[in-house]
Amino acid sequence: MTKSTQPSQPTQVTTLADLQRNFISDCLSGKLKQDNILLAKDIDSSVISAQGLMGIYQNSAIANITNSLILTYPVIEKLVGEEFFSAMCREFIYITWPKSGNMDDYGAEFPDFLAEFEHAKHLLYLKDVARLEWAFHQSSLADDARITDWSTLAQASDILQLQFLVTPSLSLVTSTFPIDKIWHLNQDETSPDTEVEFDDEQGNDTFIVLFRQQLKTVVLPITAGEFVLLKAFDNKYTFEKAIVAATQKETDFSIDDSLKKFIELGIISGFSESVTAQL
Amino acid sequence: MKKIKGVGLGLRHQHFQEFIEKKPDVSWLEVHTENFFSEHSTSSKYLAKIRQDYPMSAHCVGMSLGSAAVACPVREQHLQKIKKTIDWLQPSMISDHLSWSASDGVHYLPDLLPIPYTEEAFEAVTKNINHAQDVLERQILIENPSSYLSFNDSTILEWDFLSALSKKTGCGLLLDVNNIFVSAFNHGFDALTYLESLPVEAVKEIHLAGYSIDIVEGKEVYIDTHGQKVYDGVWLLYEKTIQRFGEVPTLIEWDTDVPELSVLLAEKKKAEAIIAKVLNKQVA
Repeated sequence: MTKSTQPSQPTQVTTLADLQRNFISDCLSGKLKQDNILLAKDIDSSVISAQGLMGIYQNSAIANITNSLILTYPVIEKLVGEEFFSAMCREFIYITWPKSGNMDDYGAEFPDFLAEFEHAKHLLYLKDVARLEWAFHQSSLADDARITDWSTLAQASDILQLQFLVTPSLSLVTSTFPIDKIWHLNQDETSPDTEVEFDDEQGNDTFIVLFRQQLKTVVLPITAGEFVLLKAFDNKYTFEKAIVAATQKETDFSIDDSLKKFIELGIISGFSESVTAQL
Repeated sequence: MKKIKGVGLGLRHQHFQEFIEKKPDVSWLEVHTENFFSEHSTSSKYLAKIRQDYPMSAHCVGMSLGSAAVACPVREQHLQKIKKTIDWLQPSMISDHLSWSASDGVHYLPDLLPIPYTEEAFEAVTKNINHAQDVLERQILIENPSSYLSFNDSTILEWDFLSALSKKTGCGLLLDVNNIFVSAFNHGFDALTYLESLPVEAVKEIHLAGYSIDIVEGKEVYIDTHGQKVYDGVWLLYEKTIQRFGEVPTLIEWDTDVPELSVLLAEKKKAEAIIAKVLNKQVA
């Protein structure tokens, strides 16, 4: 691939803004065809056609975006296989262009896409596994919790009117599928021969909390009552109203056990006496 | 802020644990700034430990300095995140590319896209570099790109464009020897002419990496993949680079199919041997 090193004389100049708009459009609008390349008149195609040249950039851009989706959705990639995952990502990218240079922000719409994608929508659990992976990604990136002096809790005038604060890395996910088991079985250290048993008949929903402990993001199954309790704390309910909500969901719910567990795990990271939200 | 010299390595997450536990003998490390935008993320916590033992350089991929729109919210937001990251990372050097990623203030293609070398582009890049240096309150280095196409409207040679940018904005240059080699093949220019045209005092850092070869419509195209060992031709060009620019801090970059750290350390030794040979120094 060689051409003259001397720049040619311009004929009809395209502004830089137009050129860049067309470049992105060519790379992300779908399959390139010789007659639909917006940039064709602007690039030197004397050795390789505009389709061939833009194809290099399109493949590179899509590979970069796909790599960021692989980092966020490694279990989905394992479940459907590398080749299918890449093909699926390409279709997703064509309709979901990145809007930020921070690729950590990219891919929130992927779970909904999976539910609608013609060749994958029969895999009903995929969307929920992807929701779990997005939650994991968010927890991994979240701020640390502030350190709380728990000794001052005893001085609270009315503990039932307190708000318990949750760690910024908290994520809550629920599903009608055993997505926590699917997720665990597809981690690198798990034997590939292990299978997940689906238990649709009993309709047992799965409730999961995700949070970060030091360098590790934890995926932990919890009860329905605990799920509602943490959701209530996250929504800044008072302690009293959070207990009511949890007990309504789970009749034999034990607030003492759950509160102790979540404080020890660092999921509940503090408390506040200023009530800013109500049921 | 520890000063950078000698041959460093690009720090990748596959090697975090090894750097923390074994503290391999490497002069300095470079990170992709965008991977550490969240100060509290797991990756940032690893980096916070590693940076206690190694001088750091911050290499950015998303400033989009070649974008037409100077006032662009999506780029401004990105620049602020870079500032926040370097505030805690305290790198000795900050660099990005002569390329663009953002268009229209709304869309972002995560790649290093080529610009036409025109007066209009020169004005835009100049304003963008000045703005970045103002916001970051320090000099940045601009890396020469690798590219696979050229624009009909270009009227300035790439090396002249870079030299003029350096003179007008006071930015430094990051010389990617592999990129020169790749683009020289793809566009048919003389790599030595490129080297000889750049101002010696502006070059503050050198990158070395591997490329791959694609066949497009029956023609070979060199692709800057950073997924292989440095090619022999690039090592030869590196020798010429050291002859012209002296002992500039050099980085071994490897971004795809990242191998065992020992492979990168062996590449580092090769670079050190070339520096020693050219400058008549003893290898450590």
